[in-house]
Amino acid sequence: MAKEKKLHKQHRTLDSVISHAVLILISIVWLFPFICIVLQSFRSYDTEIGGMVGYIIPKHFSLDSYAWLFSKDSQFVRWYLNTFIIALFVAIGQTCMVLMVSYSLSRMRFKGRTLWMRICLILGMFPGFLTMICLYFLLKQFGLTQQGAIPGLILIGVASSGMGYYVCKGFFDTIPKSLDEAARIDGASRARIFFTLTIPLSKPIIIYTALTAFMAPWCDYIFASYVAFGYSDSYNVAVALYRWVNTNDYQGYFTRFCAGGVLIAIPVTILFMCLQKYYVEGVTGGAVKG
Amino acid sequence: MKKKVLSLVLVAAMAASMVACGSNDAATNDANATAPETQAPAADAPAADAPAADAPAEEFDYGSGSITIWVADAVVDFTKTQAEQFIADKGVDYTITVEPVGEGDAAGNVITDVEGAADIYGFAQDQTARLVSANALQQISGTGFDEWIAAENDAGAVGAATVGDTIYAFPLTSDNGYFLYYDKSVVTDPTSLETILADCEAAGKSFYFDLGAWYNVAFFFGTGCTATYETDNDGNFVATDIDYATNPQAVVALKEIADMVASSAYQQGSSVDAADATKLAAIVDGTWDAASAQKVFGDNYACAELPSFEGSDGATYHMAGFSGNKLLGVKPQTDAGKLKLCLELAQYLTSADVQTARFEQVGWGPSNMTAQASDAVQADPALSALAAQMPYCIPQGQYPQGYWDAGTALIDDAKSLVGASDEDIQAYLEKYVATCTADIQ
Amino acid sequence: MKKIASFFKWIGKDLKDIGITFGDGDWKTRISYLIMGFGPLVRGYFARGIAFLALEVLYILYMVSFGADYLAKISSLGTVETHMDLTTFVTVYGDNSFLILLYGVLSIIITLAFILAWRMNLRENRNEELAARENRKVPTVKEDLHQLLDNKFHVTLLALPTLGIFTFMIVPIIFMVCVAFTNYDKQHQAPSNLFTWVGFENFKKLVSFGGSGFGSTFFSILGWTLVWAFFATFLNYFLGMAVAILINKKCVKFKKLWRTILVMTIAIPQFVSLLYVSKMFAPDGIINSKLLEWGWISQALPFWKDPMWARVTIIVINCWVGIPYLMLISTGILMNIPEDLYESARIDGANGWQMFRKITLPYMLFVTGPYLLTQFTGNLNNFNIIYLLSGGAPQSIDMTGSAGKTDLLVTWLYKMTLDDTNYCMAATIGIVVFLVTAGISLVVYGLLPSVKDEEGFQ
Repeated sequence: MAKEKKLHKQHRTLDSVISHAVLILISIVWLFPFICIVLQSFRSYDTEIGGMVGYIIPKHFSLDSYAWLFSKDSQFVRWYLNTFIIALFVAIGQTCMVLMVSYSLSRMRFKGRTLWMRICLILGMFPGFLTMICLYFLLKQFGLTQQGAIPGLILIGVASSGMGYYVCKGFFDTIPKSLDEAARIDGASRARIFFTLTIPLSKPIIIYTALTAFMAPWCDYIFASYVAFGYSDSYNVAVALYRWVNTNDYQGYFTRFCAGGVLIAIPVTILFMCLQKYYVEGVTGGAVKG
Repeated sequence: MKKKVLSLVLVAAMAASMVACGSNDAATNDANATAPETQAPAADAPAADAPAADAPAEEFDYGSGSITIWVADAVVDFTKTQAEQFIADKGVDYTITVEPVGEGDAAGNVITDVEGAADIYGFAQDQTARLVSANALQQISGTGFDEWIAAENDAGAVGAATVGDTIYAFPLTSDNGYFLYYDKSVVTDPTSLETILADCEAAGKSFYFDLGAWYNVAFFFGTGCTATYETDNDGNFVATDIDYATNPQAVVALKEIADMVASSAYQQGSSVDAADATKLAAIVDGTWDAASAQKVFGDNYACAELPSFEGSDGATYHMAGFSGNKLLGVKPQTDAGKLKLCLELAQYLTSADVQTARFEQVGWGPSNMTAQASDAVQADPALSALAAQMPYCIPQGQYPQGYWDAGTALIDDAKSLVGASDEDIQAYLEKYVATCTADIQ
Repeated sequence: MKKIASFFKWIGKDLKDIGITFGDGDWKTRISYLIMGFGPLVRGYFARGIAFLALEVLYILYMVSFGADYLAKISSLGTVETHMDLTTFVTVYGDNSFLILLYGVLSIIITLAFILAWRMNLRENRNEELAARENRKVPTVKEDLHQLLDNKFHVTLLALPTLGIFTFMIVPIIFMVCVAFTNYDKQHQAPSNLFTWVGFENFKKLVSFGGSGFGSTFFSILGWTLVWAFFATFLNYFLGMAVAILINKKCVKFKKLWRTILVMTIAIPQFVSLLYVSKMFAPDGIINSKLLEWGWISQALPFWKDPMWARVTIIVINCWVGIPYLMLISTGILMNIPEDLYESARIDGANGWQMFRKITLPYMLFVTGPYLLTQFTGNLNNFNIIYLLSGGAPQSIDMTGSAGKTDLLVTWLYKMTLDDTNYCMAATIGIVVFLVTAGISLVVYGLLPSVKDEEGFQ
């Protein structure tokens, strides 16, 4: 009996060692590219090579790439601000849209409700890039390309975002309807219930929606470059960085690309880490609801 | 009732937005409508009937407005200074915007939205036919500027700007060719491909050669094959003379490519900075990478014409190549004054003085014959290597998309051809030609 | 079929209703057939009357000043060609097929909306008339407005989102569907050249083999798209679940640390990390150079050069991208599984694998069924991974155009749009993607056990 227990314990220790070893391996694999990017960003353009090299750790650490990003030669700060403005407004706008749609669909029963949801489902099945050219010319009719690309991108980011109501509606569905009904009996209007009852209860989902909306514009290089259309003042960071690695005009910008990437990743990661709890709730809720 | 109010709101909002974009479009219509009016007085002016470059047109009314120029990032500041100088000297009321849009992207962007594109833009010559068929280039023949272009630039450059029998652009550079950059300490004999590969293998270094359709003609043309296309005046490809599938020399060329790819020293690529700098020993590349190559190779930096290779048939062939150009195009304009100014500005930006200045600042090899003759240009090592390679090159005419697609496919297919039988090579060449000719109408 | 039949029945009923409203109505109602809002105005319901009248005026103004021109040209998409004035060399733009199609589609939609408004105008008249006869009170405008914040609050809430979706989603999609039936390609580029209707030509070209047909390329890409979506979805799902179970183990310490490390990778923009990872696997990238340096291989591994290698590499790297999400999701769900289920299983002598198969997996599959479906359809259209990693490479002479062996339908569509400006083929592919997605969704959705009753969840 005692032997068996000991064996069991040995087995447990072995299990624990293997598990931790696997987890350490996983962590290394997952973090490796990021560590590389960070290290490469400290390689100097002037004293070493700006392009790709076969080694990871720079021979001399330098902040040249970062200094260049903030120097007069680069519009990086402007692009960064552009992206920040877009992300901020899209986050606000999209959250409002999603809340409005989700509340209607979750709390109210009206003619056309299922039709509305079904149309959204069908629209979602068309590939996103299909309409790119049409959206471009549509925006152009409103003067929202090139010089007006920033408001244009905000508009596009917000306009059809109501379609992404699934997760939020799922959350609203879990708020007991009896709360609403009690308030209704007390004579509160739907609008009042929405603003004073539902919204305060929805902090996690609001944060989740805003967070995902805020993160998206930092990665949008395709449509953003299309809308900015050769007007570099309207670029966002993703467009600029993408050009650095994929256009022949920008030889040796690789370390600058890495530095730019680090600068983008820092605020997004910090924000994400702080609000991780809500993000996890949202993602899990969304998956369960489907 | 619910539905009613919803629809009401919807319709109202829609109507409002329609009216909004309606009025917006009306505004642009107005702009279009006023264009003929501004043209009318211009047409009355004597100079406008035949706006010749050298005819002084003191009274000519250029109107006012803004001109956007797209050029590669490296020359944005240079171009801006020059263009503003020109406008100031001219004393016209125009503002200049210069945006960094590389020659590679410019054509695609211009075709996507001609209206939104720059008034003057630089592009690589392989895009000329595509731009012409999309009506994105102002015809220059007949405006008087064509005679100037033909007189001032080398014949290859003029050919690059010509589609059918019409000139469509101002030659900007004549350095769009490639040659060999190498590391003197590794490569002992740059005249033989076999030695270069052997040297690189021995040193554990890499030899970069791009197999894209622009570069792989080094082999095909080198063994004596041909690939040319004919376009009509609208920029459509109407005929081709490509003999890769019928000329047995093409088999020799493709086998040589396969042999080169089989070497452990071989790497696909034509950009110094995209290459692994610690491994790079030799690269087939153009003048635009001279500075980067110099930095990577340091004291061992050297340039040479392309090497020779010994084909499977035992004969020795010298690698051939394309000699190409960068061009400056003017977008079709709806206003006569602006058109004339754009043409004059493009002429100025491609004139001998400005080309020489551009060479001095960023090292772009001039297309203008006067600029080419200057001592500084003659003394540049990269440009002289290019000049040495020039006799083996053919001027790059117009090639359709299918031709370039075939080359991109070869980049990835090359590995599968290593050690292939003659029949397989022949079969591949037939498919290659089929892709090259897909666009012929 | 039934739905179509009931739709026609509904139309018939509505038409009959229009007739009754006319036959039964007074002169005010009858005039409202021509002048919208006349009835309510005369009856003293000014706000409603003016609203209807304004709509009619706006519609007519729009049509006369703008819409009718475009509508008239929609059958030909323009006839006046752009040309250059041969004396002044100035370009005179002709018809713009793109705008004709866009505004033509808009005008048709607006006309439909107008008909709807007209119908509402009739119903309003009928309602007022009946109310007068029965001595009922018609709700005042104020009451109506108040309803918008209460019982009809959804109208207020949905107005803006619906308008947004309509303008920036529905209109463009209808437009692009139309484009699939035109010859809008690089030879026919507005505004310099005209394009026109060609019927089903593009669809024929997409599935025809030989010559200029896209058939072999299309089916090869379609096949890979499906294979990719399958592996990308299920491999991630099971590996993600495995990692979650691993971290959840009782013996594992620093649970939070492991999760945080994985989650961090979600926060970093994909275009930075994936572009870097793609370069890592290049022939002269860090992985190949290290392996060569250590003498493990003598030739660079063809990660992006060989079709099979490239496809496997992409699927593996996609695990790197997807596992953190799935780990998060699985962790949440796993915690919800009642512990006593495991307890009783343990008493029955079940081992870990049996418990996973009999308890964990069925529970997970039940709960995440719909999510798996959306993941699958999402992966069919997973643009970023493919575009940033391989860009569709390796290309091959066997593929038409610039398509590559790892291209998905959606990246091919993108290449068509951007590189070839072949919008009509891009639109055609887009429709096919929609059909594939919709088909799979329809079939699978019906089979899911957890999609029974939406209200059941509440």
